Amino acid sequence: MATHKAFTQEWLDAWKQKIAGSQEYKEIAKEWEGSVGLICNADPSKNIPNPVYLFTDYWHGDVRDFLVCDETKVQTAKFIMTGDYARWKQVAKKELDATKALMQGKLKLKGDLTYVVRNVKTINKVIDLLTEVQTVWPDDV
Amino acid sequence: MQNGYAGKFLQVDLTGGACSSFTIQEERLKKFIGGSSLAASLYLERFNLDADPLSAENPLMLMNGPLVGSGFPGSSRFAMAAKSPQTGIWGEAACGGNFGPELKRTGYDGIVITGKSPHPVILSITNNSAEISSAAHCWGKDIYETTDILKAPDKNIKVLAIGPAGENLVIFSAIANDKAHFIGRTGLGAVMGSKNLKAITARGNQTRGKANEEKYKEIFKAAIAEIKNSAFAESLHLMGSDAAMDLGMMTGDVPIKNWTVGEDFELSTKLSGPTLTETYLTKAHACSNCPVACKRVVAVKDGPFRTEEGPGPEYETCCTFGTMIMNSDLAAVIKANELCNRYGMDTISAGATIAVAMELYEKGIISLEAADHLDLAWGNMEAVMALLGKIARREGFGDILARGSVSAATHFGPGALDSVAHVKGLDLPMHDPRGFHGMGLAYMMSNRGACHLQHAAMGMEQGMVSWPQLFEMKEDYDGKTSQGKAQLVFDSENYGILGNSLSLCHYLLYCLKPETVRDAFNAITGFNFSFKDLLACGARDWTLKRGINNLLGITVKDDVLPKKILTVLTEGAAEGSVPDMQLLRDEYYAIRGLTTEGIVSKEKLLELGLAELKEKLYP
Repeated sequence: MATHKAFTQEWLDAWKQKIAGSQEYKEIAKEWEGSVGLICNADPSKNIPNPVYLFTDYWHGDVRDFLVCDETKVQTAKFIMTGDYARWKQVAKKELDATKALMQGKLKLKGDLTYVVRNVKTINKVIDLLTEVQTVWPDDV
Repeated sequence: MQNGYAGKFLQVDLTGGACSSFTIQEERLKKFIGGSSLAASLYLERFNLDADPLSAENPLMLMNGPLVGSGFPGSSRFAMAAKSPQTGIWGEAACGGNFGPELKRTGYDGIVITGKSPHPVILSITNNSAEISSAAHCWGKDIYETTDILKAPDKNIKVLAIGPAGENLVIFSAIANDKAHFIGRTGLGAVMGSKNLKAITARGNQTRGKANEEKYKEIFKAAIAEIKNSAFAESLHLMGSDAAMDLGMMTGDVPIKNWTVGEDFELSTKLSGPTLTETYLTKAHACSNCPVACKRVVAVKDGPFRTEEGPGPEYETCCTFGTMIMNSDLAAVIKANELCNRYGMDTISAGATIAVAMELYEKGIISLEAADHLDLAWGNMEAVMALLGKIARREGFGDILARGSVSAATHFGPGALDSVAHVKGLDLPMHDPRGFHGMGLAYMMSNRGACHLQHAAMGMEQGMVSWPQLFEMKEDYDGKTSQGKAQLVFDSENYGILGNSLSLCHYLLYCLKPETVRDAFNAITGFNFSFKDLLACGARDWTLKRGINNLLGITVKDDVLPKKILTVLTEGAAEGSVPDMQLLRDEYYAIRGLTTEGIVSKEKLLELGLAELKEKLYP
């Protein structure tokens, strides 16, 4: 199976493909509408010299744009989640539950928390599918 | 004193109709801090533990902690305690609201009520004084009516009242503060009713200084910033405690159909915090000095369960009158909640008892005739509403349920007890230990019976908090593992109980850094406690109450989970998982210093400075 460097366009494309190919996701996410911006704070010690901005867009079980982007684009997302690299890596590897990370303040959410709580199953499924992407992490290189 | 304490306690003898006051030495306050911990120390020292819970001899105690009245966020809570009529052992409950701070403003840290009035009375507390007067105009009225009557002369009077359930000694009856905040668990409303005490009011205007005002101001600012920065606090503000429903269904936390079904997303979606917010919420409401405002105010404008604007249901109530009895109509939950509020009944035990009745009805153990011709089919909410009234009034079938789930099941014969999920006589709260084994141990070892608030196990095991500065803990626990959970429960009890002694809401305990809690306590009291000192107070509290329970007959035989929880679910996140009771208990006993019989060891009693208890346990 192909491996992808985390936070690259190829990695996002592979993740998008996993989501788009999941019938279970389509069913779970049929109510979800809106984009999610992901911000990974810079951490030069982990080979993240600058913040990383990702834009992911979901619409009633379908997936739309999945882009490595700039700060301006990410700010247009309906929800924005921000965190340190170490936290994102833990979440992506399912070592840390995303909802717990939010409650503990390890990830920050900008957006309608009520909507997120209502759709927590969708969020968990999206992350489950990310774990299926073979990932090379910047600090593993 | 400028140390957070008012400096005196009110003593009320209802038999003789006399009120007086007493003081407690600072050394004792440093050992037990406040709340139910202080109540337990007085109970052991002064009272006959063998007294029947509903007799004049059983004291009813109300205690504040030193943070109450300070203005610190989440510090409005107060505790009430007595020997419980529901369990026959140590009983306690706490609530937020505004009575605790108001009592502090009258100049009292707490109240110890003994005896029994020959006729219904009200205890009215004002600045440094108290008087007992007739309750003839309130007796028989529900809690909302009583509260309105007693606040009529001055809306700033704070009221604690019982309803018809308490008057009629329903063993899971509650005490309400200003209609919305409940001393719910362990049946203390019945203790109040047994004393013919309909209500307690407080109105004062005294203010208390803090030992270090400047330091406190800094800490207060830090606390507010931490709360503003907390997604947990935000979720509570937006959705109330019922924010837990959606996530709980995913993680196997939510009990369904009297603990027999593992997953039902359709139910949880209809009963969840977001749904409540989008449908019946009219506004959020806060306890005194709380910026979170997690309390719900709701109204159902039409339909069969029309309800005037008033206090809304918590998560627990959305389970007991929702998922537990297979009702997906949130309006019906709101109505059941209002009826329990008005009658004055614990919504957990009331709903859990009805869930047991529905299961026994389905199994044919309870017949239509035995149920007074109420069709107790799952989800029949018209029958539930009728039944709540019959319980409160102790009419017919309602009288059987008014004795509690254990007694009611026993009444219906051998085997019926398997339908009851309880520990030490107290119905389980609405968190399933099959998804979280640590919670199972916490239920087993809680001193008031199955409880989710005598510890912070839920926050720790479910990953809502991270407190590495207090003790070693993982970032993420596997809920369905028993190994190693004893240490988690031990630590979580010591810190959770400490929160109770301080009279700090657990939600705020979850939002605030432990350093902030410690520093606020020290700035207010002038004490200089370290984390170790504070956690030792938590451990002392647990051990003191366990020792009291040992004197009341509690041993290893009582530290057990019910059959319901030892039965595997066949679907959902907790599928196939049950807590390893023996492993959990063995590990816990060793850490807590209990003998194999479940008695507190002499060494542990001496280590924690509980010599008086040692003399009584080992005469």
